Amino acid sequence: MIGVDVGGTFTDVVAVRNGEIRTVKVPTNVRDTEQGVLRGAQDIGVSESQIFNHASTHGLNAVITRRLPKIAFLTTLGHRDILDMGRTWRPVEGLTDAAWRRPFGDAARPLVPRYLRRGIRERITASGDVLFPIDEEQAREELRTLQECDVAGVAVCLINAYVTDAHEARLRDLIREELGDEVAVSISSEVSPLAKEFARASSTVVDVLMKLIYGKYTDRLDSGLRDLGFTGDLNYADCAAHLVPAEVAMRQPFRIVFAGPAAGTMSSAHFGSQIDLGNLLCCDVGGTSADISLVTAGVPFVNTSFELEHDLIVNALSNEVSSIGAGGGSLITIGEVGELRVGPGSAGADPGPACYGIGGEQPTMTDACLLIGIIDPDGFAGGRMTLKKDLAEQAFAALDTPIGVDQRVRHAFDIGINNIAEGVVNIAIQHGIDPRDYSLVAYGAAGPMLLPAVLGQVRAREVVVPPHPGLFSALGLVSSDLVYSESRCSYTLLDGDAAPHIDAIFTEMEEALRSRLRPEEREKAVFVRSLDGRLVGQSWETPFVEVPEGTIDAAAMDQLVRNFHKTYGERWSKTFEMMPVQGVTYRVDAQVPADKVSYPEVPRRTDGDRPSAPVPTRSLTLRYLSESDQAANEYARVDLRQGDRIAGPAVIREPMSTTFVLAGQTVEVGRVGELRITREES
Amino acid sequence: MSTAAPVRLRDLDDAAFVERYGADRFTMSVLSSRVHYVVQHMCSGLLNTAFSGILRDWYDFAATVSGPPSDDYPMGSVSNSLAVFFGTMADGLRNAVEEYGRDRLREGDLLICNDPYRTGTHVNDILFIRPVFHDGEIVSFVTMRAHQLDMGGVVPAGFSATKHNVYESGLVLSPQLLYREDEPVDSVFHLILDNARYGALLLPDLKTIYQNLRLGERLLHESIERYGAEAVRGSIRYSADASAEAMSNAIAELPDGDYEGEEFIDCDGVGDDVEYRVHVTVRKRGEDIEVDLSGTSPQARTSINGTMLDTKTAVGVGLKYLLDPTSPFTSGTYRTIDVVIPPGTIGSAIPPDGPVFLYWEATMPVMMAIFRALSQALGERAIGGDYGTLALHNANGVTNGVPWVTTAQCGGEHGPWGATRHGDADSYEVIYMANNLDPATEAIEADIPVVVLRKEYVADTAGEGTHRGGAAVVKDTLWLSEAEHWSSALRTKRRAGFGVHGGNSGSAAATWLFDREAFDVEQERDLLPLNGGVYAGSTPIAGVLDPETKEVDLENGRYFYFASNPTWYTKPGAQFRYLTAGGGGWGNPLDRTPERVLTDVRDEYLTIEAAAERYGVVITGDPVRHPEKLAIDEEATRERRARLAVT
Repeated sequence: MIGVDVGGTFTDVVAVRNGEIRTVKVPTNVRDTEQGVLRGAQDIGVSESQIFNHASTHGLNAVITRRLPKIAFLTTLGHRDILDMGRTWRPVEGLTDAAWRRPFGDAARPLVPRYLRRGIRERITASGDVLFPIDEEQAREELRTLQECDVAGVAVCLINAYVTDAHEARLRDLIREELGDEVAVSISSEVSPLAKEFARASSTVVDVLMKLIYGKYTDRLDSGLRDLGFTGDLNYADCAAHLVPAEVAMRQPFRIVFAGPAAGTMSSAHFGSQIDLGNLLCCDVGGTSADISLVTAGVPFVNTSFELEHDLIVNALSNEVSSIGAGGGSLITIGEVGELRVGPGSAGADPGPACYGIGGEQPTMTDACLLIGIIDPDGFAGGRMTLKKDLAEQAFAALDTPIGVDQRVRHAFDIGINNIAEGVVNIAIQHGIDPRDYSLVAYGAAGPMLLPAVLGQVRAREVVVPPHPGLFSALGLVSSDLVYSESRCSYTLLDGDAAPHIDAIFTEMEEALRSRLRPEEREKAVFVRSLDGRLVGQSWETPFVEVPEGTIDAAAMDQLVRNFHKTYGERWSKTFEMMPVQGVTYRVDAQVPADKVSYPEVPRRTDGDRPSAPVPTRSLTLRYLSESDQAANEYARVDLRQGDRIAGPAVIREPMSTTFVLAGQTVEVGRVGELRITREES
Repeated sequence: MSTAAPVRLRDLDDAAFVERYGADRFTMSVLSSRVHYVVQHMCSGLLNTAFSGILRDWYDFAATVSGPPSDDYPMGSVSNSLAVFFGTMADGLRNAVEEYGRDRLREGDLLICNDPYRTGTHVNDILFIRPVFHDGEIVSFVTMRAHQLDMGGVVPAGFSATKHNVYESGLVLSPQLLYREDEPVDSVFHLILDNARYGALLLPDLKTIYQNLRLGERLLHESIERYGAEAVRGSIRYSADASAEAMSNAIAELPDGDYEGEEFIDCDGVGDDVEYRVHVTVRKRGEDIEVDLSGTSPQARTSINGTMLDTKTAVGVGLKYLLDPTSPFTSGTYRTIDVVIPPGTIGSAIPPDGPVFLYWEATMPVMMAIFRALSQALGERAIGGDYGTLALHNANGVTNGVPWVTTAQCGGEHGPWGATRHGDADSYEVIYMANNLDPATEAIEADIPVVVLRKEYVADTAGEGTHRGGAAVVKDTLWLSEAEHWSSALRTKRRAGFGVHGGNSGSAAATWLFDREAFDVEQERDLLPLNGGVYAGSTPIAGVLDPETKEVDLENGRYFYFASNPTWYTKPGAQFRYLTAGGGGWGNPLDRTPERVLTDVRDEYLTIEAAAERYGVVITGDPVRHPEKLAIDEEATRERRARLAVT
C-alpha cells in the first residue's frame, strides 16, 4: 500500500510492502500536481501495490492563493452579500486597526466576485413554509447571464434551506436546463444542512471549487496510475484523515480540503497504538508553522468545522489542528520596546534563512540553530545544501538591539522555543488536559530539532521522535480506516415523543450506508452513531454525543439525553441537567478496517554485539546555550539499537532530520527505533 | 501627565529590568503572552456555552487580567472583543473594589457591579470581578464584563433611546458579592432574577460566567506556581508599560499643535428641538496629548448619554486607531493621554437625570470628532468615518402565549467602514468601537417571528475616493405577528461617513416603516423595491427626507424624528427598512483608476451614471445582464475627468 501527501513544496510518498517502509520525496509540481504524484508513484513502484491513499494540499493552496476556477453563487434575493459579510468577527490583530480587511471580502480577495453572486426571487421561512415561491423566469434570466460569463460551477445556498431543500433542488434542475451537465453544481442542503447561512454558504462554495479542482485531477491521476500498471483502489483522506474511495470523495469534495495536516494526527494516533501510547500532543514543525493537535486515549480530537483562513468556515468533520507561526524559518526581529521577537513571520523557502545564502538577510531560527552548532552546515537537507555560518552571524549582528550577539542567539532560540511551548500549552488548556499525562510526538522537518527543548515548559511526559519524522504525515495515510459516513440535520427536542422520528433518521442513514458498502466491506463494517446537540436556548452545539445502538425508543431517548449531559460536562466542565436538550446533527459512520503500516522492531544489542553501546560519530561544541560552551556527542540514528540510552546534550542525525537532546535530558531508543526523550527529575 | 520621562524599556539594563518587574526579559515575554491566552480562554469558554443571543451570537462581552490594588490596578490584557469595554474596565475594577473594600475580599469571592456611573457602559453589562489570591494576598484580578439580556427597567431588553432617568433604565447594582468563598449569595441572585426579565436565560449565563472566571483564576494560579507571584504581577505592569511606551512613541510622531473637531447627534427621546454637539480640542505637545471636550452639549434628557468613563474609552480607542493601531491595548495606553470633560455633558452624564443606555451613540461621535480633528495633521494616514450609528432595533411581543424579544439584530447594527491609505473599506463591519459576531439570519428567524428579507449593499452610497468607503447596508425585516418596537437611528442629519485626504463622504442613514397595505410581500411575491416611489407609502421613522416622496434628501428634506412615537406598534405584515450611512472615501476620486471604477460598476457598487458624475469615468454596457461586456470610453473619460478636475 502507498500513501502520498502533497505539500506546498514537497510530495512525500511512502510505501509499505512486506512489512518494510520505503520513502520517496519529490518536488511538488504546483501547476500540474498529478505529475509530481505520478513521478513519486513510479519511483516507489506503484504497480506492485493494491492501495493508493492520497492527501493533497493543492485544493487548500488554490483557495489561499485564489488561483480558483470561475464559479457563481446563488442565494435568496436580498442576501447576495452574505459571502462578503462572513460573521464580521475580526481577529485580535484587527482590533483597533482600520487597515484590517476581511480576507475574503470584496475589498480584499473575494472567492466569488459580487457580479457572480446573484439573488433568486424566492423565500422559505424558518418553519419551512413558502413565503413566496421561486420565480423561475427570474432564475432563468440570472442563469443566462452566468452562462454568458462562462462560469464553470455554481454554488447554491438559499436562506432556510437547512429546513427544506425544495427550492434548492428545483434551482439545481433549472441550472442543469440552462447551463447543461458540464457545470459543477453544489447545493447547501446536501453539502451541509445546518442552520446559520454563512458557514453553509462558504462550505458549499468550497465544495463546488473542490469539485472543479479535484474532479479532473482525479481523472488524470487515475489514468496516469493505470498507465503505470496500478490496478488497485484509489482513496482520498478526508479532513479527519479517514480514507474515502475516490469516487465517493468526489461527491462531497469539501471534506478533503484539509486532509494533509489531519494525516499527521492520524499518523501519531496509529503510531502511538503500536508502542502503547494513547495520549499524544502531536506537533508538526516545518519551515513556517507548527501544527499542533491532540490524541486522547488513541482517538484524535475532532471538530465539526474549521476555518481555511480567518472566518472562512467549512462545516466538515476535521481533526483539530492549531497552527502557530513558529518554525525553522521564523524571523527574528526587534520589537517596539527593544524586545527580541521570533515569528510569526517566516523567511519561507525563498529568500529563506540568511545562512542559505539565497537572499535572506534577516536571521531565523535555522540561523540560530546553525550558530549554536545543532545543524551541520554540510549535511543539511540530506547534504543537498551547504549553509553559510558567516551570513547567519552577519544577520544577527545587524539587529538593532543593545545586547551582544551571544545573547541575541541565545534569546532567539529560547523565545522561539517558548512560542512553540505556549502553543502546545494553549491546546492543552483549551481541552482541559494535563500535559503530564501526554507524550509530545515530534515530526516535520524541524520538529525533532526544536521540540525536546520545550519539555521544560510544557512538562509533557516525554518527547517521542518517530521513525521517518520528515515524512511522518504521509505515513498517516497508511494508518487509517476506510470510513463511509452519512449525516442528517433536524432541530428536534429530545424527549420520548421524538423517539420514532430519531429512530427513522438513524435507520434511513444506516440503510443508505449498507447499500453503498461493497459486498466484501459489509461483513467487516462497524457502525458508529453520534449526535450533536445543545441545551435549548443555545445556538452552539456540543458535538459527538454517543447514541445508543438498536431501535431508538423512549428508554433510548432517555439514555441519549443522559449521554448529552455527560458529554457536555466533560467538554465544558459544568452541567445543566434540568434544561431540555435539542438534537441538531445525527451521524452514522461505517468504519471498514483497512491494512495499516506496522513499524518494524529495531533489534536490541546482545552481549556479543560490538560495539556494546552507541558510538558517537564525532564530538560537537554547542555555543550560546549557556554561559559556557557545551560539548555534545553526535550520533547517526541508523546506528542506534533498541534500549540504547544517551545522555544529553547530544545530536542525532538522519538524512532529512536532526534531533537535539538538551543537557539534563536523556534519550532512550524504543521498540521500533523511536527516540524517547525525558528530563531528569529535578 | 507624565512627570520625568521614564527610562525606555529597551534601555534598561538586565539588573534594572529584573529589579523593576521581578524577572528577566525572557520571562516577561513568556508571561505577557500567557496572560493574553488566559483572557482568550475565558472568552471562548463563555461564547461556546452562553444561552442568551446577545452573548452567544453577538459576543457582547470582554475579559481582562489586572494587577492588584498595591500596583494601582494595572490592566495588562484585554480580549479581542468589544473595544467599547476596554477603557472602562480598569477604572470599573478600581472603583468597585475600592468601594466594596479591598480588605473585605476573600479567596473565592465574585464581586459584581453594573452601575454605569461607577463602572461605565450600561446597567445590562455586569462587571464580574474575581480576585486571585496567593499567600493570603491579592495578586491579580480576572474580570469579565458581559451583557445580560435584561436588567429590568421599562423596556424589555433595555435598548431604547427613550428612557428618562436612572429609574426607568434598569436595576442598579452597587458593588456586592454574587459568590462568597464560592458559595452563591442567594439574596443577590434573587435581587437580579426578581427584577430582570428572562431569568431562565440569565441564571445559566451567570453560572457560566462564574465558571469561566474560575478557569481564568486557575490558569493564573498555575503561572504563579511556576514563575512566582512577583513575576506574574511584574508581567502585568510590564504589559502596561510596554503599551504606554508604544503609545507615547506614536504620539510623539504627530506634529505638535491644537486641533479641533466636532460631531452631532440628531436629538434625544424627549423632542427633536435639541441637536447635541460633541466638540473636541486635541492639544498635542511632545509625547503628551490632551483631549478637551469643553464645548460639548449638556447631557440629554433620555438614555443616549455616556459617562465620562465611556468618553475616556472613546478617546483611547480613537487614538489607538489613528496613531498606534497594532500594539496591545492596556491601561498603560492612557499614560500620556489626558481627557478633560466638564460634568453633566452628553459624554459625562450624571445621575439621576442623565440616563445612560445607548452610551456608544454619545461616545462614537467623540471618537469621530477626534478622527476629524486629526485628519489634516495625519495627512495620508487619516481614516474615513464609519456608518456612525448602530441604529439599534429593539422589539418584543407574545406569540402563541410565549414572550419573545430581539435586540441588536433587526436594525442598522452593522455597516460600512471608512477607507484608508491601505485600500477600499469593507461594507459590513460593526462600528470602530466594537468587534463582534453578526447574528445569522437563520438564527434570528428560528428564534422570533421575523423574516429578514433583505441584508445587502446599496449602489452609489459609498463615499467616493481613490479608495472608496464601504457601501451602505439596507436591511428589511418582515414582522409576522404583532410587536412593539424601539428604533434608534440617532445620526441621520449629516453624512456620518466623512471622507478624508480629499475623499468624499458617504450617503446618509434613514429608517422607514411599511405596513402591509403599503407593500404585501406575500401578494407581491417579491421584496420591497429599493426605488420607484415606494417610500411615499411609508411611515418615516428617522432621517432627512423629502416630505412628499419620503426619499432621503439631505439638502432640501425635512427631519423625521425617531421618537415621534416612543414605541412603534405594528400589525402582522409590517416591514422596517434600515438604511445605514455609507463609509467615507480616502483620496481624490479622480485618482481612482478607470479599471477599478469599472469593477465597481460591474459589481453594482456604482451605477453607470454615478461613475460618470462622481468619478468622471464613462462606461458603456449593461452591468446587470452583461457584466463582462462593460467597456470604458477612454476618450470621453479623459474629457470628463479633465472637466471635473477644474470644477
